[in-house]
Amino acid sequence: MIHRALIFTALVALPAAAGAQAVTDPQIASIVVTANQVDIDAGKLAAERSTNAEIKKFGTLMVTDHTGVNKAAVELVTRLKVTPQDNPTSQSLKAGGDKNLAHLKTLSGAAFDKAYVAQEVAYHTAVLEAVDKTLIPNASNADLKALLVKVRPAFVAHLEHAKKIQASLGGAHE
Amino acid sequence: MTEGWRRRAFVSLWATAVAAAGIAGVAVLRAREAKPATHSVTIDATRFQPARLVVHPGDTIVWVNKDVIPHTATAKGGFDSKVLAPGASWRLTVRVKGATDYACLFHPAMTGRVDAE
Repeated sequence: MIHRALIFTALVALPAAAGAQAVTDPQIASIVVTANQVDIDAGKLAAERSTNAEIKKFGTLMVTDHTGVNKAAVELVTRLKVTPQDNPTSQSLKAGGDKNLAHLKTLSGAAFDKAYVAQEVAYHTAVLEAVDKTLIPNASNADLKALLVKVRPAFVAHLEHAKKIQASLGGAHE
Repeated sequence: MTEGWRRRAFVSLWATAVAAAGIAGVAVLRAREAKPATHSVTIDATRFQPARLVVHPGDTIVWVNKDVIPHTATAKGGFDSKVLAPGASWRLTVRVKGATDYACLFHPAMTGRVDAE
């Protein structure tokens, strides 16, 4: 299946690249901002394109929550005088996000809903893995680490929410 | 409440106060002990803390959103804080006894409970 392969390629990049090396605080800042932005962009598209009320609501929630996390992250790194630094993980996140958006734009109706929700499940799974295995363990500034710990439960809530929608669409095992 | 009832109640109270100042004093003291309290629930890291609160009718609960994302404190068929932006707070004065379960409308796994005893 073509779209399954695309989703797979887009996502696998995150934990693989993130786990490959220790990351610095400026790199973590860049990964956090990019990861949130990727999900904001997908959420905007879902809110606009989906015809399913639950998915539109979920997309809007992703825009709100990830915007909130990014605002807090930008305020913190500004206060800490940390300049986010581009790195292989943030680059692959951005590339994966762009690829996913381009793919979603070719879909509509039930196919769009299924692909978006599958992407959200996979994406939040990957983000949580990166948060737990790479970002929190490598964050050296205590406030940066605390922010990651503070926002982690929201990502868990998003993952559970996406899984619930996926089950209601009957697409979990396709 | 009729005017006659009020007058009788007043006369009766006055008589009690004059005749038995000691008992009246104890009653006043008890009334002061039961003064309404204010309880605080912190919303942080997508959690209500404390998740369970025991209160008495007349008490006030203040939910304070210290998280970086919006939340709500919403009871099905009951109270509703509406959207609480980061930094926002909401007060509720509890009127009746009973248990109320509530959750965040945006993050349904985020639950809390108020027991008014």
